[in-house]
Amino acid sequence: MNKRTKYLAASTALFSGLLVLGWVTHGTGIVKDDPERNIVIPDELTSELQVKASFDGEKIWFRYRWPVDRPSLFNDVLVYQDGAWEKRGGEALGPDPDFLVEDRVAMMIDDGSVPLFGRYGGYITIGDGLTTFTGTPETDEERTKYLPSTRTDPNDFDTVKPESDLETLRAAGQFIDLWQWRSSRSNPIGLGDDGFVAEERGGDAGTGPYTTNWDSATSQPKYMFDPAVAGSTALSIDEVIAGDVGFNDTYYLSAETAVAFDPTYAWQNGDTIPRRYLRPTDGSRGDVVQPKKARWRNGFWDVTLERDMDTGNPLDDKIFRDGGNYDLAFSVFRNASTMRWHYVTLPVSLGLEQPAQLVAERIEPGAEPDWTQPWTEIKTFYPGQITWGQLTDARVHPGAGRIAARVPVAVRHSEEQLALYGVQMEFAEEIRAQWIWTLIASLSLIVGLGININLLMRRREEVK
Amino acid sequence: MTARIKTQTLQMSAGKDDQMKRSRFLQQGRKIGLAAAALTLFAAGAALAHGEEGGGVALVVQGEAAFSLSPVYHILVAHFPVALWVTAYLFILIRTFSDSEFAVRLQKAIWPVAALGTVAGFVTYGLGLTIYQWSAITESPLGRNHIMLATWTLSYWTVMSVLGYRFRRHMFDGAQRWVTFALATIGALVITITGTLGGSLGGTPSLVTKSLNWIGWNVYNTFYLPTWMLVVFFAGAALLIVIGVIGSKRRV
Repeated sequence: MNKRTKYLAASTALFSGLLVLGWVTHGTGIVKDDPERNIVIPDELTSELQVKASFDGEKIWFRYRWPVDRPSLFNDVLVYQDGAWEKRGGEALGPDPDFLVEDRVAMMIDDGSVPLFGRYGGYITIGDGLTTFTGTPETDEERTKYLPSTRTDPNDFDTVKPESDLETLRAAGQFIDLWQWRSSRSNPIGLGDDGFVAEERGGDAGTGPYTTNWDSATSQPKYMFDPAVAGSTALSIDEVIAGDVGFNDTYYLSAETAVAFDPTYAWQNGDTIPRRYLRPTDGSRGDVVQPKKARWRNGFWDVTLERDMDTGNPLDDKIFRDGGNYDLAFSVFRNASTMRWHYVTLPVSLGLEQPAQLVAERIEPGAEPDWTQPWTEIKTFYPGQITWGQLTDARVHPGAGRIAARVPVAVRHSEEQLALYGVQMEFAEEIRAQWIWTLIASLSLIVGLGININLLMRRREEVK
Repeated sequence: MTARIKTQTLQMSAGKDDQMKRSRFLQQGRKIGLAAAALTLFAAGAALAHGEEGGGVALVVQGEAAFSLSPVYHILVAHFPVALWVTAYLFILIRTFSDSEFAVRLQKAIWPVAALGTVAGFVTYGLGLTIYQWSAITESPLGRNHIMLATWTLSYWTVMSVLGYRFRRHMFDGAQRWVTFALATIGALVITITGTLGGSLGGTPSLVTKSLNWIGWNVYNTFYLPTWMLVVFFAGAALLIVIGVIGSKRRV
């Protein structure tokens, strides 16, 4: 092999080696947690949810099962420290290492009244500038999800339509029914929570399953554990964080487990009392209940919620009718995460003995579901930070035109794809800049190779 | 005297040869230009004739482009460069492993086929850029990846076309045939990846898309290099040019 050919071979090897090195190192250096910008990326971007449904003409039941490595039985707590009670937990950017954020499952329900919900699910409820989104200033009032039709500018949280317009929309069915189950704030007393998404995400009329255990006037809790029931007036924060307090312990405050707070008690540093007091629900908000308290077993939460098919509250609830079809979308909170650090699903069709992704089975009136039907497996995914405004903006989303043409999201995107896109949207500008530089660098490498080979390749007559 | 006449005759003959070569080159260039223009006109005309898609759209889309072409024509035209480049690769493959008369005949078609592919590639690339707004397509990880690979493919096969034109049969002289083979194989790979990304972007991911995941790239993640690797790439490009300059000064 002559010298030029050796140079040529070396150049080809160098080019190929750089390509391999680029392949091995690509995609690194940008996507990482950035708490300053409210960015925390979950370790797992997708997970699974199993669902079954049954109805008897009067009641409807939904059973949910999802994986959780360690159940979180506590939400916000009050911890005694050096003479004062401090609030801990209940909120966190991403997973709370102390496990002071409860597990949850939520289900949105529509009967076809909300435009596009059946095609895009919860994405339609994500407006701009919601709480915990990057760039949203912290406000006392939580900026929750909402329906686009409740705003004069669907992409502006602050342009809520007049009350009369909202009432008209509500009467027309333009709201989403929202069922929730909470491991700390509803499960211990066997309840769910009935809410809605319309101009905000809120609770139905009536009393919810919890209230705040805090007396602002005295800066002390209102309740403590009843020593006669719990064995002590408080738990230990170390045991709570370590997960040493379980289902067989008294870990929640209710009429059965609590007594009025005693400020004269000899409180010790680390004494811990739940910041929520659980109570019976009433009114429309109390429509969703559990047949029995849920337990975490073998790495899974197994939760069942039930409700009257017709609650008599058509302005708060979607009424289920025998033979009806509905649209659902689920979200699951696991690994002690809250706010937008949840796993969501694409819309799922529900049929009451009608063809659908999830078919609710009819049982005899008055009977309990035997749950012999197979699970419907639904993939869940971390949605990242993607707003409805972005999705419907052709300057940002190439698929905006397809949304206008009402092409369902599931036709074009898988859950895994949406999870990866959601994360990348959190670093959109950085990734775009790095991508452009990569384009330029790789182009320069190809040009370099072209010049190199044109200089080194020889014609046979050059040898002679 | 006789020797001088012979020399003059040889010089005149060489001049005629040069003129003929130039003329042939111009003719070929004209043909390629005409083919490219016809392809462009056909594609653009067909795309414009396609008009708007769908109907009865009620949802307001923000920031719609004043002008865009239906993706179907990009998809349609994209098959031309792909077919031509893959054909060129097939011919390179045959010639690399065979010195038969058939292989040598195929070798003569390599550069025209590759060059036609490159011309069709530029048309395809241009049509592709008219589908979505730049701000939108560069917000999509799959869109970014498709643009990245399309740029690589087009630039790479432009280089290959120039090489093919300049060196022709000499690309297969001695050990150079293996360099040609290696470079062409890389070219075939980038065509394949570009095509499969286009399919994924159109909503029809293939097994190739999935197989890329198996070897370390989920195509729904943007392909970008870390900053230090960008520096390495720029340095590598410079080094390749330096090696070329130094190597070209060596005796063959």
